[in-house]
Amino acid sequence: MDAASRRRAASALNRLGLGARDGELAQLGDAPGWALAQTRRPAAELGVFDGLPDSLGYLRKEARLAQERRAFVRREAGRPVPVGKDGKPVNPLLRLYVQTFGADLRREASARWHLAARTGTPFAERLVRFWSNHFAVSVDKGPARLYAAPMEREAIRPHVHGRFFDMLLAVEQHPAMLRYLDQAQSVGPDSVLAERADRRLARRADGRPARRLGLNENLAREIMELHTLGVGARYTQRDVTQFARALTGWSLPFPRELERGGVERAFRFRPFAHEPGPVTVLGKVYDQPGEDQARAILADFAVHPATAQHLAAELATHLVSDVPPADLVRHMAQAYLAAGGLLPALYAALLEHPATWAAEARKFRTPQDLLYAGLRAGGIDPGDRPQPWEGLLMRLGQPTFMPRSPAGYTDIAGDWIAPDALWKRVQAAEALAERIPRTGLDPRALAAAVLGPQLRTGTGLALRRAEAPEQALALLLACPEFQWRV
Amino acid sequence: MTTRREFLRLMGYSAAAAATLTLWPGITRAATGGDTRLLVLMLRGGLDGLHALPPYGDPGYAQLRGPLALSPSGATAEDGPALRLDATFALHPALTFARQLYQRGQLLPIPAAAPPYWGRSHFEAQDCVENGTAVPDGAQTGWLNRAIAALPGVRGLAVSTVMPLMMRGSVPVATWTPPLPLRVNPILLQRLEPLYAEDARLAAAFADALAGDGASAAPSAGTGEPGAMSAAMGNHVMGDRRRAGPALRGKVKAMGSGGRLPQLMQAAGTFMARPEGPRIGFVEDYGWDTHANQAAILARKLKELDHALSGFAQAAQPVWARTALVVVTEFGRTARINGTNGTDHGTGGVLWLAGGAVAGGHVGGLWPGMRPHQLYQDRDIHATIDFRSVFKGLLAAHMGVSESALATRVFPGSAALPPLGGLLRAA
Repeated sequence: MDAASRRRAASALNRLGLGARDGELAQLGDAPGWALAQTRRPAAELGVFDGLPDSLGYLRKEARLAQERRAFVRREAGRPVPVGKDGKPVNPLLRLYVQTFGADLRREASARWHLAARTGTPFAERLVRFWSNHFAVSVDKGPARLYAAPMEREAIRPHVHGRFFDMLLAVEQHPAMLRYLDQAQSVGPDSVLAERADRRLARRADGRPARRLGLNENLAREIMELHTLGVGARYTQRDVTQFARALTGWSLPFPRELERGGVERAFRFRPFAHEPGPVTVLGKVYDQPGEDQARAILADFAVHPATAQHLAAELATHLVSDVPPADLVRHMAQAYLAAGGLLPALYAALLEHPATWAAEARKFRTPQDLLYAGLRAGGIDPGDRPQPWEGLLMRLGQPTFMPRSPAGYTDIAGDWIAPDALWKRVQAAEALAERIPRTGLDPRALAAAVLGPQLRTGTGLALRRAEAPEQALALLLACPEFQWRV
Repeated sequence: MTTRREFLRLMGYSAAAAATLTLWPGITRAATGGDTRLLVLMLRGGLDGLHALPPYGDPGYAQLRGPLALSPSGATAEDGPALRLDATFALHPALTFARQLYQRGQLLPIPAAAPPYWGRSHFEAQDCVENGTAVPDGAQTGWLNRAIAALPGVRGLAVSTVMPLMMRGSVPVATWTPPLPLRVNPILLQRLEPLYAEDARLAAAFADALAGDGASAAPSAGTGEPGAMSAAMGNHVMGDRRRAGPALRGKVKAMGSGGRLPQLMQAAGTFMARPEGPRIGFVEDYGWDTHANQAAILARKLKELDHALSGFAQAAQPVWARTALVVVTEFGRTARINGTNGTDHGTGGVLWLAGGAVAGGHVGGLWPGMRPHQLYQDRDIHATIDFRSVFKGLLAAHMGVSESALATRVFPGSAALPPLGGLLRAA
């Protein structure tokens, strides 16, 4: 293999993928072709999600838990609060929650660690996680907690290789997003439901001001600003409000509907909550009935030039450079529009553009990607307990599914480079190095195998001087070129 | 651009009414000598100023707020009676320490304040609050870093895993978060040092991480021992770790409960109280975006904020008399509640100043009112104070940044916006 091909292969594995595993670099010939092939079929799942409940299953469990909690409160009312081994009072309701969902949450988390560590289609997997972060849901919002991981499985994975509109629709109708951005309760101010509620309120005798059912524009705004058009696009507060009206009625099944049976989807359109009448968004009138109104708006957003520009810039920033060349972004946006919003066209345009393979292309690993790369380089089995990994990510500033903002996590170097952050990376490297299987391991050969031409002379020298394999491995994972993806 | 006078006319104020409001004259020098402290606490997500500082005396308030309305004379399902400040304003019932500060003249709430950006995007608004300009990409550095650059010898600290935009810039600033309870092999650090020194982008940050302990990082580094803690935060900024470490360790250990913000604020207070400690600090918090079920969420969050203030005040006790704290959020929220017992993104919000150096004990700013015709776009509190005028006032009087530096470098293009005076106790 010539030097240029070797350089491209290392870039494909380390910058586009999740980090090279031992042996992969030597086998990879045509780097763009390797990546392109992964954009045409679903990311491998390796069976890691087998047996996990789907969102509807979680909704049913949640409804049952609510019943149990009510029964528990009735039964335990007046009794003393139980005390744990440490002498501190135990919250019995929290314990019920953990009993119900603890194992599921651990398995969901564990599945993602295993996939990141073992997948043979790391570029496809990287794209999954890119879109997952594009449509960020933050699990510090309690009602969304159970659904972030299922949303990635149900709404992102099936569509990464398809049409953006299909992914957009699946996400915006997913319980995770409907709850995270407060859509589930948004009610049209002139809907049947709101008028009924008003009549009830009018009959109230106590004269206290009461809650009116009405709009919540959170989801509408973030769809326009973050999911599709981008904040630079020309839309107004009026467009947001009009779109929010069209979205009313997009909701999920209530517990009592689940108990009654016959529910087949975790999404439910509620005609009575829907604001009747046409809306005007970006100058176009939408007069479709019911659910179709917001769906038609999403379909237009999905292929809007502003969306193409926004998605292209975000993906190029994620994979190529903090400041991607304008020509690359333009090329990607044009290809996306020409293909009518097909995502593989967007990826192919990125892969065929010289900027993607240029010497200047360089990104800094986020903490999450650093740990993934460490697991892959070291051939570490993440094991069944995801807690230590999740805890490590939390301390590194990137807890899984918890960006605390619908904008998701940043991937810009300046946001992650700081003294304390680098210190913690060294600590993480040591923690990872301790888990690397030692049998027959030559750290210097491993460094050459995963970094290839990216390995610098000084690091090679330091590896040779390391006094123990463990220290050499920590050095490999902590060295500057392992933090960068070139 | 509307001038202040036009604005008042527009809002239906008579000259006499305006005169009774706090329109501060020039800058007065702070009474606190040179060694002052300034901490910025940023609440991301958009704190609802109308809930934290309810204008219960405003004729429009109860009507627009419905079941979320708070007042000193009544309690709601979630909250007790609000804590009365004056005939118009009260504090949310969870803000009991804040009320004590107010009574001591050390809390100055400024309602109807906003950054110069009046769009309603979290991210654009936060960028403007942090970069100190009127547009989201107006600067790639933060005004707090540019202020430090104008103050030779002053050190900064961001209590944050990664550098927030407000603290990014040419002056190196330390970051700190509670440490990882892991050991670090000092020899590994020794080996890594020259490798990082060759990396132009990472060299300075890595050197900072090592500084103090240097290449001979104490064997206890990273174990949660005092040496480790200061090493992890780049203790060259923090002064003598041997003296200060144990006190902090005691504090951090004692912070088991009460949320993350009180812990971070207490740590910030401990660092900033040191004689050679950072004089300018930054702390951030999340979770203020209350689109639904606002009363319960804010009851919890405001309690945390109150504990954070008292935790900081306690930890920073030695320098409290010389300290000013600013609590800032990217925007206020809609005057009306939405359909889900919450509020959506708005404009004018509340800015809080607190500390021994602050001339508080009254509500500052210019209250535009919340009758329908007084609202901005029939929806938000009309902002009457530009954040930058408050920041400039503090940096000038409290930290001694020159007005020319403020107008050109710290807040570029803000020469027409005078620093607010009267924020600090006069000499």
